[in-house]
Amino acid sequence: MNKDGLSGLVLLALAAIYYWATGLIPDSTLEDEVGATGLPRALTFALAGLGVILLVRGVLAGRQAAPKAARAADDEEQDATLPRAIGFLLFGLAYVLILPYAGYLISVGLLIAAVALYEGAPRRWTVPVAAVGGAVLYWAIFVKLLGVNQPAGLLEGLI
Amino acid sequence: MATFWDIIHLLTGTPLLFVAIIGLTWGILGGALPGISASITMALVLPFTYTMDPAMAIALLACVYIGAEYGGSIPAILIRTPGTNSSAATVIDGYELNRQGRAGEALGISLMSGVIGSLFGLAMLVLLTEPLSWLALAFTPPSYFGLGILGLSVIASMTGGSLVKGLSSAVIGLMIATVGTDPISGVNRYTFDIPDLLNGVEPVLVMVGLFALTELMSQSGSSNVTQLKEAVRIRLPSLAMMNKLKRSQFIGCVLGLFEGLTPGGGGSIAAFMSYNEARRWSSTPEKFGKGSEEGVAAPEAANNTVASTALIPMLSFGIPSSNSTAVLLGGLLMHGLLPGPRLFEQNPQVIDSLYVGSFIAIIAQIAVGVVILPAAIWLVNRPRPYRAGFIFALILSGIYTLNNSQIDLGIALFLGLVGYLMRRAGFPFLPMILGVVLGHMVESSYRRSLVLSGDDMMIFLQDPICVGLLLTAAGFVIFSLTRELRDARKAKLEEAHP
Repeated sequence: MNKDGLSGLVLLALAAIYYWATGLIPDSTLEDEVGATGLPRALTFALAGLGVILLVRGVLAGRQAAPKAARAADDEEQDATLPRAIGFLLFGLAYVLILPYAGYLISVGLLIAAVALYEGAPRRWTVPVAAVGGAVLYWAIFVKLLGVNQPAGLLEGLI
Repeated sequence: MATFWDIIHLLTGTPLLFVAIIGLTWGILGGALPGISASITMALVLPFTYTMDPAMAIALLACVYIGAEYGGSIPAILIRTPGTNSSAATVIDGYELNRQGRAGEALGISLMSGVIGSLFGLAMLVLLTEPLSWLALAFTPPSYFGLGILGLSVIASMTGGSLVKGLSSAVIGLMIATVGTDPISGVNRYTFDIPDLLNGVEPVLVMVGLFALTELMSQSGSSNVTQLKEAVRIRLPSLAMMNKLKRSQFIGCVLGLFEGLTPGGGGSIAAFMSYNEARRWSSTPEKFGKGSEEGVAAPEAANNTVASTALIPMLSFGIPSSNSTAVLLGGLLMHGLLPGPRLFEQNPQVIDSLYVGSFIAIIAQIAVGVVILPAAIWLVNRPRPYRAGFIFALILSGIYTLNNSQIDLGIALFLGLVGYLMRRAGFPFLPMILGVVLGHMVESSYRRSLVLSGDDMMIFLQDPICVGLLLTAAGFVIFSLTRELRDARKAKLEEAHP
């Protein structure tokens, strides 16, 4: 199935989830005629309709598909970047999870080092130096200069 | 006279001068980084503005925008890679001049034409915005509904080639806007008992997620190692050269004004249109594409004019006509400021700071543009892995400043993934941003109108402003659809008869 067909399926799934979540909205005595669920229900049907159009378009286009070899090469090229991009995002997720425990200074240093290595920085002394330097720089800007209440974590009481 | 003293006070009693220079510098550096568009540069700085004085915050964002529009031309001229979309037209002759060993001259022409375009755009912004905004005083709930629909109709020209995908993107944006407390009944929608979601999903999270995180994810693993030449020095054009360029700069300014006022216009269209028109009206059209100075001046004057004139519909009616103005609108909303006449009445200091800050940034651009060039070249030459690490850390640190919330971080990361998938599947971002920004206004004004009329839909046809806006929106959609169909038919014909 091509991109349009797949996108159509995703939109339909999204519409179904949204419709289910709309059912969880409580009733209110202050409700107007349209109600809190009025727009969400209209949006659900709009998204489902658009999903169907994309799905049909994808299926029709699939019948006039490009030669198999070309399509396979195309898919291969795309699949190579999708795991990379998700891997990149996982560093952000790890940062969110360790932030309250390790604290801002340590978490942000680890994030810089991990991303730099992931993106192909040579394993040399420059990576830890950049990580420590970057962490101290951001800590000085956000915590000291802007007064943002970033978690201190393991370094509580030390900084 | 009062205005004069207000300006003196702004320059001496507030950190506006400092803010304008910082914004401009950041904008030039961000715009110079290939892949980091003006809107991403602005989105990166947006969380920082949360704790700032609103007037300074808006001035900062506007100055970043001005700086980024110029910054984009640096890699366009030096490495044939436009730093921003709107500097794509500058590549054609800018890079040719570079190849002829005239890179410094091309950078100088770009800078001066940008300054002229920006000054013209700012003058139009000052002259046109407030009178237009007074129209909004007569607005009733049905009028606001019509305005919201007009804003959403911009989507028709922002679909990136697929109307269905553009509309889907807008619907998802509207869905995100429904998260939080219902504007009429006060019940919670899609909050799943998470207190951080009671106020909804902040537009800034959507913008940072879609623009900045998506870009970082998309560039992950990229092996683009093009390097800038460290030895390049900028050379400002002589008076004789400026005289030669005035026609192309004028064309750029006029088309920049027109495109800035048009929802969906934007700097890229203005730049390419003015390049085309400058060639048509040039006495040496044969030089275009082979290193024409006018070919650099026209698009740069145009996209810098748009950087100011695109703010006119945004400040007057709250309609963002481009990604960058959507980020600026997000900045206004984040500080509880609503575009329209009340903004001019209740928060004149915000408008004054915006105008004066922009003026400072434009004038300072000449000095900063010269001084910052080596720094811009140094920054672009940093190894990409470190750059990615520092930018990612900056984004996440900035998001946390909004509400000290890990949920916000999670939402932004999730939206980064959504943006990445949307980009892969060819879904445009701006309709989604418009949906998030305008969704609340459209829904609440629609429902308030019906409450006022006792559920009589005729209220929308009884309000002349609403009718006018709805008709304009319909006209705009029809015009965009016709153009899209015509282009598709033309492409098909060309495919059949190459």
